[in-house]
Amino acid sequence: MAIYSIYTQSRDDAEARHWLLFFRRHGHRELTNLVIERVYWLEGRVDCEKLLPLFANSVYQTASSHSLLDHAAGPVIEIAYRPAVTDPETPSILAAAKALGEDGLEFARLSKRYQLTGISEREARGIAERFLFNKVVERIRDLGESVLALRPTGDPDSVEMIQLAELSSESLSKLSTAKSWYAPLSQMQVIQAHEQRIGRLHTDAEIEILVQSWSDHCYHTTWKSLGLLKKLSAATRRIAHPLVVSSFTDNAGGLEFYEDWVITIKGETHNFPSSIAPFGGVATKHGGVIRDTLGFGKGAYPIGGTTLMGTMDPAMPENEVPAGALHPQLILSESIRATAYYMNPMGIPMMHAAYKRHPGYAKCLALGHSIGLIPKKYALKDAPRPGDLLLLIGGETGRDGIHGATASSTTMTGETLQKESAAVQIGHPITERRFATAIPVLRDAGCIRSITDLGAGGISCGAGEMGAETGVMLDLDSIPLKDSSLTAWEILLSESQERMLIALPPEKLGKARSLLDRYEVGNTVLGEFTSSGRLEANWRGQKVVDLEMSFLWSACPIDPIAVAEPYRKLKSLNIQEPCTAGEWSRAVHLVLGHWHCADQSAAISQFDSTVQGRTVIGPYGGKNHHMPSGIYVSAPLHGKSYGVCMTVVWNPFYGDIDPAGMAKLMLIEAVTKAVVAGVDYHDLALCDNFYTPRVRPEVAWDLTRMVEAIVELSIKLGIPFISGKDSSSGTFESGGLSIEAPPTLAVAAFGRVADVHHIVTKDFKQPGNKILLLGRVGVHALGGSVYADAHGQRGNQLFNPLGVGDAQSIQLVWDELLRLGARGSYVAASAIGEGGLLVRLFEACHGSGLGARIDLDGLEKVAGEVTGASRLRSDELLFGEFTGAVILEVASDFDTNKNLADVPHCVIGEITKERQIVISRGGRVFWQDSVASLATVWSKAFREALE
Amino acid sequence: MSQPVTAILYAPGTNCHEETAAALTRVGLHSELVLLRDLLGGTSRLQTYQAAVIPGGFSYGDHLGAGRIFAAMMTARLGDELQEFLAAQKPLLGICNGFQVLAEAGILGGNAPGQRTMALLGNQSARFEDRRVRLQVSKAECLWTRGLAGRILVMPSAHGEGRAFFPSAPDENAVALRYCKEDGSPAEQYPENPNGSPDGIAGVTDKTGFVLGLMPHPERASLPVHGSQDGLQIFKNLASFLGG
Repeated sequence: MAIYSIYTQSRDDAEARHWLLFFRRHGHRELTNLVIERVYWLEGRVDCEKLLPLFANSVYQTASSHSLLDHAAGPVIEIAYRPAVTDPETPSILAAAKALGEDGLEFARLSKRYQLTGISEREARGIAERFLFNKVVERIRDLGESVLALRPTGDPDSVEMIQLAELSSESLSKLSTAKSWYAPLSQMQVIQAHEQRIGRLHTDAEIEILVQSWSDHCYHTTWKSLGLLKKLSAATRRIAHPLVVSSFTDNAGGLEFYEDWVITIKGETHNFPSSIAPFGGVATKHGGVIRDTLGFGKGAYPIGGTTLMGTMDPAMPENEVPAGALHPQLILSESIRATAYYMNPMGIPMMHAAYKRHPGYAKCLALGHSIGLIPKKYALKDAPRPGDLLLLIGGETGRDGIHGATASSTTMTGETLQKESAAVQIGHPITERRFATAIPVLRDAGCIRSITDLGAGGISCGAGEMGAETGVMLDLDSIPLKDSSLTAWEILLSESQERMLIALPPEKLGKARSLLDRYEVGNTVLGEFTSSGRLEANWRGQKVVDLEMSFLWSACPIDPIAVAEPYRKLKSLNIQEPCTAGEWSRAVHLVLGHWHCADQSAAISQFDSTVQGRTVIGPYGGKNHHMPSGIYVSAPLHGKSYGVCMTVVWNPFYGDIDPAGMAKLMLIEAVTKAVVAGVDYHDLALCDNFYTPRVRPEVAWDLTRMVEAIVELSIKLGIPFISGKDSSSGTFESGGLSIEAPPTLAVAAFGRVADVHHIVTKDFKQPGNKILLLGRVGVHALGGSVYADAHGQRGNQLFNPLGVGDAQSIQLVWDELLRLGARGSYVAASAIGEGGLLVRLFEACHGSGLGARIDLDGLEKVAGEVTGASRLRSDELLFGEFTGAVILEVASDFDTNKNLADVPHCVIGEITKERQIVISRGGRVFWQDSVASLATVWSKAFREALE
Repeated sequence: MSQPVTAILYAPGTNCHEETAAALTRVGLHSELVLLRDLLGGTSRLQTYQAAVIPGGFSYGDHLGAGRIFAAMMTARLGDELQEFLAAQKPLLGICNGFQVLAEAGILGGNAPGQRTMALLGNQSARFEDRRVRLQVSKAECLWTRGLAGRILVMPSAHGEGRAFFPSAPDENAVALRYCKEDGSPAEQYPENPNGSPDGIAGVTDKTGFVLGLMPHPERASLPVHGSQDGLQIFKNLASFLGG
């Protein structure tokens, strides 16, 4: 088949200009020019002339049949996806060519040439490898390489029969590693015994399915062994919250909304691929968690998303990056690019994004949430019935992501980057967007009995789980493949993104097909549900899988996990209290310029926050739309005032000190952030996401204590967890070096609010109004704080917001807030968190164009009353992270004695017209600065790290 | 005569059609979501509608160029229908990706489907920009901004390719909306001008004044909870035209 190529260049190319400046900033001053040329490779019988308007807009682009780069001007680097990875654009090009009447186009691929003027070929390659491509999924294409065929072709390997009988324990373990199964010996032995019991050898496909389904990623063996999932779901059952519609059983959790609607939540980590290929990893993180929403009940519609990334310090010198890991700055910038690449085309508003750093995140944390909306009558799945069809929808199946589930369950090592390269996928948001539009239509037309997404473990897991109670018969030859050389087990395990599986009543096949065709969603009948109780699959006339469902889903041995209390090397804080105004300014700048408090809008403004027209409070608010909101609120039913709200918190620093204490603080902080904005905590539910190192006795201890802490608190407060996910793979190993992620728990509070008009925002409203602090302040609030981290310290104890009063004391604060809120007594409010009181004061001033005069005297008094502490230092009061305490703006004549009975409180100052923050203690102003100059410090730190 | 209906044209990747329909409902207009595929296949006809809106999103993933595939399909297969629609002076609005479609289709800039005369290039910052912007309505004769000249409208803007480019300076009457500073003067500086468009160009009309393309999103400023209802003004102009 003939292959053509078309070369295009754009004038006034912002992307080329961006890279030129970027590389010059990164030490390549001699680089004088950069030109980008795109190459389109077309295979088939086509009239290229007719397709030219597709590839170039002559107003600003040139197109030609040969490269227009003058090779004398400097080295040219051409980057293309590896042959087995499909270009996202391919299906669109094929569709467009067809619409233009060029039916003969068979396949298309893309590559991109960069010409770098002023530097050597070697330097250019160095730049490319560092910044322009990821060798896991892309490659530098030799300019002279001849192109014979574009579509990956080849013959599949035949099915291999695997004999385990008579293998010693050692040989079983060796085989497990050699095959990239990473199954523990106990699993290998169970499979060995099964071989004997069924009296035949297993096929490679069967063993692949077993070890995949039993991997920690899919089966949560660590959590099961420790009994943690049961604890969480039992707590939720015990709370018996009237709004909970679905918890821990479906792809997401569901909460009753208003007018017969249900809102859903799911959070999911995608750490492993994001560490070795951040762009692909983070894109598929979003794609996957969005499919969990689409796969809730009979198909919910996604109405919001988040992204949370934890990396090592992006300012880290190149030579300190552990061998085998990518530079954290690259992980950061690639992850931002990926979130924009996936979320914006999906048309899902960004609710919250946060980038944090910790030296333990060598294997990065990549977490995303997705919330959704579904009519209540579709919120519960029906059980598939024998005779129902399995309908596979979405993209084609390729080699992508093979062994993704087992790889993500193992430790990341320096070699992982090479070894498991196929475990990385490149997401195609356009494919997912198509079925996001189609699924609600299919659902409303009665075509969906049940639906699930295909993620880890691919078709084998999806079909295996869906048909666990019935049995399924799969016809693997029906599946459209990206690559004809895929063999049976690869087809079954492929983690190609953007695919979902529907249990379809057979009489609805015609209807479903016509709807899916209309929305241009790929669809194939993959098989049917049976009553055999077996997972069966045929491929090329051969039965390649025949496993009892009962064996698949209940024979997995759960190895006991030893538990031992860890010894933590913790030191008490040793920070000199600032004394002079200059020292105070330095301290304030350290906190406002710290990553976790600083302005991250350079990243977050790249994500659409208002699409769908539902957003009421987006990530930024205030007069200048530059103040972090701290909560997301939307009005999902067009034209109605009912609201959905969401807050997310996580804190890797606290985890270093006391994981269980951290877990409690996260729950309290997430809820307080919502309550202070005017949300009733009885209308909230929670979502937990754990990220912990590979299990060892001390990690098991931490994990268990964290779960027990949130279980206990959630029961006492009556706020249930309805969804969550755990990842026990936060260990990076390289050359004998082992770096463990800090015990991490992200808590999202998610719920409903009767009227979004009553939400109170952070920004101050009126000069002369009083600033009131409500809640507990006390000792140890600098433990794990941003202030401590800015001094290179951690501390040895965390703040205890509950004091001796247990959960009741925090409930009293929330109840007081609800009472005040119902009377409209406060007009601005925020919960104290990272960076302490000072950060909140700054944000409220920055968002309003006002200032504040603060006196710490009263605050010290109230601290003494509730904690018995003698004297709290001024830096403790200003930067202490008093989780559970809030600041409120109340009218100047607000009577605290009359209005606030049982809750610790204190008027700490007033709002001023002058745009200054002025702080005094003992009748003396010890520090003041203009809000504008503070804003400069605050807005610089993160932006500079990106540049 | 039966009630006028506005077509909201969408394709795979379009993602603002529902809120656009909701905004039209708010000004009392009837609209129908019309798949581009149905127009190409002849099961829907553009002629049935009294006005059309192409909403925002990433049609066909914005592959090959923002709005390009949508535009190429439309001009190659619906050329005559489109000409007829424009000749009948039926209102046509392109929002964000819809504006990119109108530019790629040659409808804005030169009013000759298939002959491109303007483009929307990648933002100066080389990335997607999600911001709230201020727009000043020019004196250009345009159905969609009628009666608003001199007004400042506030609405969200969210795009990666919105920098207007004209090979030769555009007619003064072609520019309907400009990013502006607080005092109403054209904003050249980032971030008030989110994409680096020269002279703050944010919205362009054709020589009949019946076609408007704009990068910001009026449908996302159409309810009290949006923080601004300025976008409604644009849809109200369509309502008074169709109603009157």
